Order: sequence, then structure tokens, then C-alpha cells
Amino acid sequence: MMRDHLSVIFLPTNKCNVNCEYCFEDKTDDRMTHEQLSAVISKLLDFMEVSDIGSLTLHWQGGEIMTMPVKWFETAYDLIEDLASTRGRRIDHGLQTNMIAYTPRWNDIIARMFGNHVGTSMDFPNLYRKLFRGGPDDYTRIWTQKVKLAREAGISVGVIAVTNQETLELGAARLYSYFVDELRITDFQVNTPFPGGEANITKEDMAVENEALGRFFNDLTDIWVERGRDKGVSVGPVDQLVARFSDEDSSLPCIWQANCADEFIAIDARGYVAQCDCWVTSYPEYFFGNIFEWDSLSELLKNSPARKEFLQRPVSIIDQSCIECDYLSMCHGGCPVRTYTYRKTLQEKDPYCSFYKSLFSHTESVASGLASRETLRDEDEKPGIGGLETAAQQIIETEMRKAPRYSRPLVQIEPRRRSVVN
Amino acid sequence: MYPITYNIPVDLFPAHARRYVIVRVADPSELALKLSDADMGKVQYFQILSPDIEPDNIETLSAWGRDIPVDILIDDPVAQFPQLYNFAKLVDKHPIRASIAVTAGFGKAVKLALALRFAVKLEIGQPAPELIEELNEVLDLYMHGRHVSQPVEFFHSIFLSEYRQEEVSMWMVQEDDPDHFRFVTDDGFEMLSRRFAATGHGQADGSQGPIDITAGAPGEPECTSCEFFGSCRGYFKWPESDYDCSGVKSIFRTIADAANELRENVGVLAATQGGRSNDA
Repeated sequence: MMRDHLSVIFLPTNKCNVNCEYCFEDKTDDRMTHEQLSAVISKLLDFMEVSDIGSLTLHWQGGEIMTMPVKWFETAYDLIEDLASTRGRRIDHGLQTNMIAYTPRWNDIIARMFGNHVGTSMDFPNLYRKLFRGGPDDYTRIWTQKVKLAREAGISVGVIAVTNQETLELGAARLYSYFVDELRITDFQVNTPFPGGEANITKEDMAVENEALGRFFNDLTDIWVERGRDKGVSVGPVDQLVARFSDEDSSLPCIWQANCADEFIAIDARGYVAQCDCWVTSYPEYFFGNIFEWDSLSELLKNSPARKEFLQRPVSIIDQSCIECDYLSMCHGGCPVRTYTYRKTLQEKDPYCSFYKSLFSHTESVASGLASRETLRDEDEKPGIGGLETAAQQIIETEMRKAPRYSRPLVQIEPRRRSVVN
Repeated sequence: MYPITYNIPVDLFPAHARRYVIVRVADPSELALKLSDADMGKVQYFQILSPDIEPDNIETLSAWGRDIPVDILIDDPVAQFPQLYNFAKLVDKHPIRASIAVTAGFGKAVKLALALRFAVKLEIGQPAPELIEELNEVLDLYMHGRHVSQPVEFFHSIFLSEYRQEEVSMWMVQEDDPDHFRFVTDDGFEMLSRRFAATGHGQADGSQGPIDITAGAPGEPECTSCEFFGSCRGYFKWPESDYDCSGVKSIFRTIADAANELRENVGVLAATQGGRSNDA
């Protein structure tokens, strides 16, 4: 059903404490009890056994996760640890919060359960994130205070930013300076917007601006290389793309997987299961089912017509134009929810396609430039190695990458095994 | 002498349990059903006869037979290649290979298989002249594709053979060597490779006399004078002995030129680095 690792986007509350204009979530006051949590975790552990899945990460969010009491998390953590250890499994945790309700009372559980790291969200400039009483400026002021407070407590903070029209107009350099120079944030990711959920005026203005996004992200790549790469600053997804094109370990975001339906699911406070948080909070017609109504998650997923549509998506769209694309192996048609939100069907490619191509092309070119620059630097350090030899070295590296990645050759009779490069 | 590997239907596994086997099956869910208690130590790989399978029936391999390679036969690449996506979920649990028939449009299947991190084996047959251009395009993808990290056979083994200047046999690379591979029909009849089926040399009991594959077609002088005979060994003269090899030779030439260029460059590199070994 899944690959070797299962990620679950877990929303134990559908309640939120802020009022962002572009939010795609259909919020409710539902909150999961410990009894319900125990049932969910048990079914996830059953699923891991049945599907031979080695590890599980729960990505906790909401709603707003910090509308739940700290005490609830302390009990929840012990409960999960007990259930997992009884079954000989390990469960890891990640936390995504708006930070507005953060106080130092959260520090112990953040350290114990979440590895002393939180993920949060902020845009530059902030146009749409608002409190129920107060505008974007009030939100930004409180968020900035809370982030500062958390960092003073030794908590590392990663930020997700969503672009808006003014972000693109102000440019990548200004955004980079805001996060890195002004806020001292060294780990942030920039996402494209999508007008999911109930329509409003703000969402109506969210057009797909592929050319402008291309220019912005390409500039952001250059700025990161110039100012942040050697200083350990992480700017997703551009740093991961450069790493991928440099044949380094990399982790691309969920929008660029062979099929996200093989990678993760989301479960909300009512027990509804869907493809991701966007689907479980916005599109009831695409719920896979309710985990409390099924004896097993395997059966729920197997019997879900909605999930079959997700599984079918890359099969359906590959021959539309993706098969001709140089970046097929990076993208596989992009994000289902962005497609559905703009196109009202799953069976088309992501409307941000031309932006993605532009970014892939640019980051590939940057990776190539970095490789040449680093080779030249190596040459300076090793007198006597000339350009021809460097070219040969690169060819060797390229050819050796073609060696079979598996440890067990397909046919194990001896002559063939010896012919395979080691 | 290396042992023979038998390509058997899953139902005949008990009769071949002590042999090296390739277990072929149409529906992978049958594998766990029929082999759950079997000793899998000599199973070389599972061969799935077609990718046109209900995705639910592939799930079996998500939870069973971990690490045993899976080979997916693609006989109709243009129609079947999108179905490769249904196997992508297995890539963390099994080495996956797509064995793709070289027919018009097969390049799409190769491209997607490589994008999904599957190895590829080309079921090459005796390619018609109009397929040579597409073969060259696929060869270019294998050799120069910026995002290709998996082997494409037979290109990969021939490239390494030329690079290392060690002989390799196309018959072995393609798993067609009658001394090492046998095909067992669904009713248990032992055959040589399917490559011989149309030649009257298909039966494995020797009743039709010995096969000299290395001579190509009997009396065929083109093979013995061919510069690539060392690795080809008459492979492309079967089953039709009058097959025109000129297109195939151009493929071999391209591979050999690339391997030679690499070897020369590596030699220069090794010399400037103080004579260190350049054996890749």
C-alpha cells in the first residue's frame, strides 16, 4: 500500500485561533480524545505490520495545534510511546504551528516529543495572516515575538512562506533579507499559493503567475547560492533541487513525488482520512473514509474510490505531455490539490507546470555551475590537473552512477554478476 | 560450470524447488498465496507477465518477498507504459526491472521506467531498420541522460565490456544462453530460450541436435568477420539468419566509441595523478 516509510499528517484538532484570509481549511471545533488517539495509533501500527512499513512520522498540525493543552500532548506522547514500543516500532513526530499561542510552557514537550524543533508559517509581506481581532501587522508582531521567545529557549524554528503578489513585486532579495538578516531564520521554505476551500475575494485574486514565479524563484536560488549556501542556510525547495541536480542527498517536497498516494495520508480530528491536510480540511468529496468506522486502515484505503483516483492520476496524465518532459523524473505531473483547485479535475497536470520547468532548468544550471566552480577550486589546490582530466573525472562519476543501485543483481548466476560494475 | 536457471510458472515451483529459478506469474497476489512457506533462497527474481494488473493485486509485493527482485514484462510498450506507475511503490522493497519489447514507441516506456528508478532490459529481438533510430535515442538517454541513474541492458553490459576490454556475451546479458537458461512451459515442458522457439531448436532435450550459437547461423560468414563478434556471438542472427546487422552494429559502434573515449580520458587522468589505477 505504501513505501517503506509512512508519513501521516495528523490533525488532532480542527479548531484554529487565527483568521487568515487565504486559509483553505473548513474549520470545526472537533478535537480528538486520548481514547480516539489510541484507536488511531493502534490502527496505524496494524497497517505498518500488514504493509511491512518500517517507520512512521506523525506530522502534527491543525486547525492550530497549540489550541490543544500542553497536558494533552504529554499524555498523548506517553500513550504513543507505549503503544509503539509494545509493537516494536518507532514513531517520530514533527510539529507545525502558527506560534500565536506559544508560551514557554510548551518547551518541555517540544524538546521531548519534537526534537526541540517547530515548523511555523509567515509570509513576506504578510497580507492575509490575521488575528480574529487585529490585522496582519498585529499578527506579524505577535508571531515575531513568539518566534524570538522560542529561539531564546533553544528551540529551532523553520518557516514556510507562501508567495503573494507583493512578494513577487518586492523580489527575492527582499524576502531573503527579511527572513535571514532581520529575523535570523536559517531554515525556510517558499510555497506557491492555491485558492483552496471556500471562495472569497482574496482567493479570487490568486492567479497562477508562472512567469513571475519563475523569475522570483530563480532569483531566490541565485541569492541563496551567493549568500546562504556556504553558511548553512536552508531555502526550500531551491536548496533541495540544487542538491538533487548535484547528485547529493536531497528531499524534494510532496508536490514532486512519483505518486503522493504512495507516500502519505492525512487524518483529522473527526477521524476522516484523505490524501493530505489540504484535502481533509477542504474537499469532503475526496475523503477516503473515516478511520473510526473501519476495522483496519488497509481496508479503508483499499475500498476508497477517491484513493483510486489519486493512484490513477499519474497513469492518466503521463501521456498528455509529461512523458516528453526532460524533468519527468523530478515532477511526475505535480500536485493533485493545486490541479484540482484550479482545474476541478485530478486528471490533468499541475497548472504550475511551466514555473516548475523554469525552476528545474535554472537549479540544474546552478548545480552545474557550482560543480565547475568547485572543480576549478580543486584544480587550484592540486597543481598539474588540467581541464581534460577534469572532464574525464566527471565522465567517470557520471558513468559510475549508472551502476545498479540494488545490492542483489537481477540474475545472480556468476558470469553476469562479475560483469556488473562494483 | 555454472548452474542453469529455469524460468518456471509459479505452480511448478515445488517441482523445481532445488533449482535456480525465475518464477513467472500473471497475478502477483498468487506469489504470496502459493509460495508463503517456500524456501526462496534460489529464486533469482519474480517475473510479472504484464503490467496490466489491478493495483490492489500488486499490493502483495509491498508486504511480502522483500528484496527479491521483480521483473515486469512490457510486450506492448506504447499501450502499457503508464501502468509502470503502479509498481513505483515497490521500489523501496524490491529491485525493479522493466523488460521492454523493442517495438515502435518503446522509448516512452524506457524513459518512464528510468524516471521511476527501475532498471531496464531491452527485449531486442531482431530490430527492424525503422527501430534503429529510436534505439539510438534510447542509447543517448542511457549514456547522456542527466537524470538517468539505472542500467539499461544490453547497453550497460556492452559498455562495461568495451571499457574494461573484457568479453561479455549478449546471450548471457539477455538471459538467452541455452547453457544457462531454460524456459519451462506451463505444462512443464522444458524449452530453450524463447529466441529459439521459431527455429526448430526450441526443445531442451537435445533431440534436435546441438546448437552452436557462437557460429551465428550455420555457414554465416558475416559473424566471424564482425568486429563485435566477441560480445555478440551471433546473437542477432537468431532466429532469422539473414538478418541485416548494419543497424545493430552502429549501436555497438557508438557504445564502443564512448567506452574507448572514457578509457583514454581515464588513462590520461591516471597518468597525471601519478599512475594510480584507473580500474573503475
